[in-house]
Amino acid sequence: MKRILVVGGGTGGTIVANNLAHRLHEKLVKGEIEITVVDSSSLHVYQPAYLLIPFGIMHRNEAIRPERDLLAETIKFRQERVNKIDVNNRLVKTDSSSLQYDFLVLATGAQPDYSQVPGLEKGGYDFYTLENAYKLREAIGKFEGGRLVVAVTGIPFKCPTAPMEFAFLADSYYSKLGVRDKIELDYLYPLPRPFTIPNVAEQVQKLMDDRKIKTDLLFNVESVNPEKKEITSIEGETIKYDLAVLTPPHTGSEVVRVSGLTDKGGWIPTDRYTLHVKGYDDVYAIGDATDLPVSKAGSAADFQAAVVSTNIWDNINGFPPSLRYDGRVMCFIITAIGEATILLFDYEHPPSPPPPNFACYWYKLVYNRMYWTVTAKGLLPGFGV
Amino acid sequence: MSHEEEKVKVIDARGSYCPGPLMELIRTVKQSNIGDIIEVWSSDGGSQRDIPKWTEKAGHEFLGVIHEKGYDRIRVRKTR
Ligand SMILES: Cc1cc2nc3c(=O)[nH]c(=O)nc-3n(C[C@H](O)[C@H](O)[C@H](O)COP(=O)(O)OP(=O)(O)OC[C@H]3O[C@@H](n4cnc5c(N)ncnc54)[C@H](O)[C@@H]3O)c2cc1C
Repeated sequence: MKRILVVGGGTGGTIVANNLAHRLHEKLVKGEIEITVVDSSSLHVYQPAYLLIPFGIMHRNEAIRPERDLLAETIKFRQERVNKIDVNNRLVKTDSSSLQYDFLVLATGAQPDYSQVPGLEKGGYDFYTLENAYKLREAIGKFEGGRLVVAVTGIPFKCPTAPMEFAFLADSYYSKLGVRDKIELDYLYPLPRPFTIPNVAEQVQKLMDDRKIKTDLLFNVESVNPEKKEITSIEGETIKYDLAVLTPPHTGSEVVRVSGLTDKGGWIPTDRYTLHVKGYDDVYAIGDATDLPVSKAGSAADFQAAVVSTNIWDNINGFPPSLRYDGRVMCFIITAIGEATILLFDYEHPPSPPPPNFACYWYKLVYNRMYWTVTAKGLLPGFGV
Repeated sequence: MSHEEEKVKVIDARGSYCPGPLMELIRTVKQSNIGDIIEVWSSDGGSQRDIPKWTEKAGHEFLGVIHEKGYDRIRVRKTR
């Protein structure tokens, strides 16, 4: 019997497991294959909802499902915390068990790490956990005017478009309420342009100028002073705020670090095409946990999941691997309530987003619902492309 | 660029993509002493454009670029 073990039942891990379960259904039923997903949480969270909760566009009940209900019945689910991954002995240790594998998929994600910036957690709000998204909802609802600062305090972080989308949504939200003129919107970003990809950054800058969102670039946050409501940069500037929405720096899961599987930044060195953990043909890494030079985005995890599940299926059935990851990512950028554009790019081709439009916004909202019934179910891995 | 090699802190960021090399430089400058020279090795073309801009804004000294095969060596001195 071949054992496929997936560590992390978030977006990437769930798609890999479900897609393999569809393709290997007969072998699973006959007991020739075993697929196990391990996650410390029994709940699966659709994290893109965190950005929309503060504006009342999505709600808690649309963001969470029991992981067991999402996984195919033939998949074993263990709600256990993984403490050690021993890739030399093909052994994964959890709180309560030792699990052996023939194929291991690491999909342990990334988490906010507030400790990297003094004052960060107390000084502002963020939308990187469900609880914080609701606190932010209350704060923006009560905000009566003054300077609203949206800042990125460390790169890389989950969903590179989310902070600027927050700024656009805030502009739109307060405009609709008729109070936009009471609010100064300020966007602080570490690079000399408001987004990593230069041609997209140009369009974003223009939109921000049009919407009177001030950009302070090359602003690398050093510390936040919650009492004085000030943000200080490594470059020596200080900015005052009345309300701050701060994207925290991120780090990989502790288990991959303590297992010696990461680089010094905490990410898993991963072959950019095969998605093997470098040096191990029986171990794959996907999604936010990797050091791949692509966005930490669910769509990237989805495209990668398609490659890994296909190549594991090939191996089990005696075929050579038939897919390579080409760096593909798909991201929406919400540019207002009711308006969005879309970025589709890969290692070789930068994105060329269409002008913001209603159709993209509508598709994004529909996709948020489709995530549960199509994407996470592994029915259309890599969006079928 | 005639600085003695042993005084130069080298960050090998080859293979890392924008904004990786700049972020590594900023982290290292933060942990360095005034006067230290930091040299970033970068294979990402964007570093040549972004690093001088950051150095100027942050008030450090941009010392120049040496082009090697497949990567650049970009030098900065921490001045404050
Ligand atoms: C505000 C916000 C907005 C976003 N918007 C978008 C968007 O519009 N489009 C998009 O494509 N992406 C978006 N994303 C990013 C997307 O949610 C992530 O990129 C995606 O979830 C990554 O999938 P993953 O499988 O790598 O990690 P995750 O989905 O985070 O899953 C990791 C799993 O590993 C588990 N785990 C970690 N360590 C252990 C351990 N030791 N033991 C057991 N289990 C463990 C965790 O419990 C978790 O379930 C957004 C994210 C945020 C926060």
